[in-house]
Amino acid sequence: MRAVLLLLPLYLVPLASKNEVLLAILIFTFILGILAVGFNIIFGYAGQLTMFHGAAFGIGGYGTYLALSKFGIPFWLALLPMFAGILALSLVVGWVCFKFRLREFYFAVVTMAFSELARLVVVNWNSVTNGTLGLLVLEKPTIWVPGSGIVKVDGTLGWYLLTLTSLVLATTVSQMLVRSWIGRNFAAIRLNEDLAQTLGINTFRYKLLAFTISNLLAAFAGALFGFYTNYIEPSQLSITQSLDAIAMVLLGGMGSALGPVVGSLLLTGLPHVIEFSAELRAATYGAILVLAILVMPRGIVGIFTRWRHVS
Amino acid sequence: MTQLILGQLLNGIIVGSLYGIIALGVTLTFGITGIVNFALGQFMMIGAYATWHLTDITHLPYPVSVVLAVVIAGFTGFLTDRGLFQFTRNNLVNGLLVSIGLISVIESAALYLYTATPKNMDFVLPGSWTFGAITISRMKIVTFLVLLGVIGLTWLALANTWLGRATRAYAQNPEAAMLMGVNTGMLQVGVSVYSCALAGMGGALYAGIYSLEPSMGGLFILKGVEAAILAGVGNLAGALVGGVILGVTESIGSLFLPTAFRDAYGLVFLVAILLFRPSGLFGGQK
Repeated sequence: MRAVLLLLPLYLVPLASKNEVLLAILIFTFILGILAVGFNIIFGYAGQLTMFHGAAFGIGGYGTYLALSKFGIPFWLALLPMFAGILALSLVVGWVCFKFRLREFYFAVVTMAFSELARLVVVNWNSVTNGTLGLLVLEKPTIWVPGSGIVKVDGTLGWYLLTLTSLVLATTVSQMLVRSWIGRNFAAIRLNEDLAQTLGINTFRYKLLAFTISNLLAAFAGALFGFYTNYIEPSQLSITQSLDAIAMVLLGGMGSALGPVVGSLLLTGLPHVIEFSAELRAATYGAILVLAILVMPRGIVGIFTRWRHVS
Repeated sequence: MTQLILGQLLNGIIVGSLYGIIALGVTLTFGITGIVNFALGQFMMIGAYATWHLTDITHLPYPVSVVLAVVIAGFTGFLTDRGLFQFTRNNLVNGLLVSIGLISVIESAALYLYTATPKNMDFVLPGSWTFGAITISRMKIVTFLVLLGVIGLTWLALANTWLGRATRAYAQNPEAAMLMGVNTGMLQVGVSVYSCALAGMGGALYAGIYSLEPSMGGLFILKGVEAAILAGVGNLAGALVGGVILGVTESIGSLFLPTAFRDAYGLVFLVAILLFRPSGLFGGQK
């Protein structure tokens, strides 16, 4: 839980700097950080290499916006039908994968296949998703502020506080989860699935749980992303999106509370801080990733803490 | 209609053989170095662009450019293996991440050098052959035959030569192979480079048929991995068959079902196979 406290000083950043670009980069860092926190639950703690969180991220954006515009309800209410959809989808995909005992590489490939199928549906369902052109999001989440009542979250500062708070909450929830008996069962599955089964842990059920929770967090991050950037497009469901989150978690240090956030900061932030052309930026991203993995195979947080899993 | 189906079937086989050559690289690398090099698609792109550059800009004859492109892809593969992949042996996840990083770097380099505008090579082998009612371009037939030959030769070499036996032995039991005098370090480098060269050759042949874009690699590595798994990882001849099955499923599927979901048919087929035969179509053990 100390880890969450380390995030709190980030609330002071807007006091020190009014630089819009810096804050915007941090907002992206926080949103993708939530995605990474979700992936960390299933991979870092439960040990299942999923590729589906990218799809959940994209569907989160689409689902929330579609619910919002179809039913005319505010952002926070629109999250609910979207979460219900993601829940159903995760249960179906997870049920198929885990029922047939797909592991490691095979699990990764089948979830990747499902993720790609989801993307194809979104790309081709023109009447609802507007195909490759994507959707323009003109709404903003509202929030109750003492003194001024319900206000729209607009402008960089508002989004900064909203996304940072969401990240803190996501990290807290994930830490509470992995430190509970559920988390210990996740760890047992990661370390030795057969043994865990023998000890009476219903591995199927716990893997499904981890998969669902990670997808819900990814979908929440996707909703924030879509409403912050005002734009939802099919590439948000792409495999690259999944791979980015994997890279963040591994770079930051998997199975640690702060790892996803550190990884997100480095991979999202660093290529933007240095002024580069688009090509060079992608190359920098790649180079950071390659060097970091080769120099620090356990991730950055792994260097500062002794290698211990929360178990 | 029959004509259309047969035509699509042939197209599927040819695209499938391109998937197959990547699948062969995936299978070999996975068997020997324990990682999946997701950047193989980018090596294919390197091969394709090298061929295009050498043929259309340097004006070398096409076959010479193909050979040079294979050498270039192989040499780049050697550099990445020495510089990067030798540190991620048998670590699937780190290997995956390093290859993702490498994808970004190679694609950016290609974008920088050749921009995003698709490149079309001049026809190297114009004309087509007609078999009864079906007409198919010569280049496609040649491509298929070359790929078939390469995969066949690889299979023969693995079955009959000392090096091939060493490779198979290593895949089964690395320590025992080492004790029997196999230079395992060299073997890993060799297989890694060979896979990249194969991908480069796939790209060189691809350049003769389709137009090139820096982002072309991503699709092929996905199909290659699908084909390798479809066949059963570790099965070399299966890699080609897996690729062809995938290619045919896609092209026949898009004939009867919406074309937009072309990529989905292979995926659905793959998921179905994995669910009922987790070790792949031709996979034996595991």
